[in-house]
Amino acid sequence: MKNMTILIVDDDPVVRKMLEKRLEKAGYEVLIAEDGYQAEKILTQQHVDVVLTDLMMPGTIGGIEVLEIAKKLNSSIEVILITAHSSVDTAVAAMKKGAADYLEKPINFDELFLRLEKIANVQSLLRNAMDISEAMDTTESVASETIQNLEIRTAELQGRLNTLEDILRDEKIDSYDRIYKALDLLEKFK
Amino acid sequence: MLKISPEELKLVAQYIYDVSGIYLDQSKSYLFETRLGAIAAEHGCNTYKELYQKAKTDPSKIFERKIIDAISTNETLFFRDKGPFELLQHKLLPEMIDARTPNSPNLKTNIKIWSAASSTGQELYSIAIIIKELLPNSSKYSVQLLGTDISDGAVAQASRGKYNKFEMERGLPGDKLQRYFTMFGDSWTIKDEIRAMVQFKKFNLMMPFTGLGKFDIIFCRNVAIYFTLPDRQKLFNKIADSLADDGYLIIGSTESLTGICPRFIPKRHLRSIFYQKTK
Ligand SMILES: C[S@@+](CC[C@H](N)C(=O)[O-])C[C@H]1O[C@@H](n2cnc3c(N)ncnc32)[C@H](O)[C@@H]1O
Repeated sequence: MKNMTILIVDDDPVVRKMLEKRLEKAGYEVLIAEDGYQAEKILTQQHVDVVLTDLMMPGTIGGIEVLEIAKKLNSSIEVILITAHSSVDTAVAAMKKGAADYLEKPINFDELFLRLEKIANVQSLLRNAMDISEAMDTTESVASETIQNLEIRTAELQGRLNTLEDILRDEKIDSYDRIYKALDLLEKFK
Repeated sequence: MLKISPEELKLVAQYIYDVSGIYLDQSKSYLFETRLGAIAAEHGCNTYKELYQKAKTDPSKIFERKIIDAISTNETLFFRDKGPFELLQHKLLPEMIDARTPNSPNLKTNIKIWSAASSTGQELYSIAIIIKELLPNSSKYSVQLLGTDISDGAVAQASRGKYNKFEMERGLPGDKLQRYFTMFGDSWTIKDEIRAMVQFKKFNLMMPFTGLGKFDIIFCRNVAIYFTLPDRQKLFNKIADSLADDGYLIIGSTESLTGICPRFIPKRHLRSIFYQKTK
């Protein structure tokens, strides 16, 4: 399983710093955006596995919009929303738009790490599934080629054996000549 | 997802072939798009041509690494196909141990085994587990287990020895899982006693095999299928050079060396096939 890159989007510098520290310590790659605009810029320029965004932010790009932008750019990006208790309804509505999950403030880090671990697992499963179908494809086509070649080769060898037998059984020729002819033929097969 | 044009397809396929020997069918444009699209986006490339040019000129080789990681098919599992591992346990290892045991009791028995395309490590860890169970008194034996792969990502994952549930459940019997792995959250990590037995390194099989030394047993499974016929021929020729005269080669269960390398002859044991060098 590989390391995930997580984009933190929050207008509160204290929350940003704290999230950044904890996530980096846990071994994740961390990117930071102060608002939805920055988030959009980063999303169009860099590879991100998970977006961790505040739901309510100043400006016209809030958490829901960040979710929509991320999903539109790459549907395999997972988005976790951070909400105040009072806006849980909005968060639930966001889940319908494709958010992976939401966390209530104050953030419980054990809970956050568990969710991230789950997402990492799903993403590595997705890669496994892609690799399986690709590997099956290649194995199948190469194996069928191999079988065809072996089939033709076996038939060729059988054909040569038959010719040899015909020569060796040919009573119209004396035995010395038969052996000579047979050896000649074998020489040609090499 | 960024679309790839036919010209770009040719360019990128040739690039991938040049750096890895992996021959990709150009009818598989979806493969290029799903696997390279994210890298293009991540580096702000608007076309695959741009990505290609960056990759070709990048001295740090970061692009090359990422492209290889993305394009290589790392599909593997613990004890894949079972047969080769039973063969190893019941025939190849006991015979090799006999052949390599020195006359003097003070000397160690040295054996070198190579997993030539180790991907995320399951093949080599399966071999390590068999050796652990077969040779509990390990001080008498020195078994070197080397795993190599061209993908940095796969090598890193192999070295970490961390697997998701699905990777664990495929092929790994429950008792081995409990005995040799520790669970954390949704994933499992190989125990140090097994990890300490193996070494993983990045290595491109298209390169000359200098400095690798000779091996007693080589596993080269399910990697040659991604190469062209001439490259397969070269590969198995180099493998013949790196294998001890009485060594064993194991290839994938759907592969064949007929018409590829006359230096090897197949031998059958129970339901498995292994190869030895012709005299
Ligand atoms: C399908 S996996 C096989 C893994 C394992 N041997 C097995 O049979 O389960 C193929 C592996 O070959 C590696 N590979 C592809 N081209 C390679 C090259 N030129 N040199 C070394 N490894 C390569 C890929 O990175 C991938 O991990």
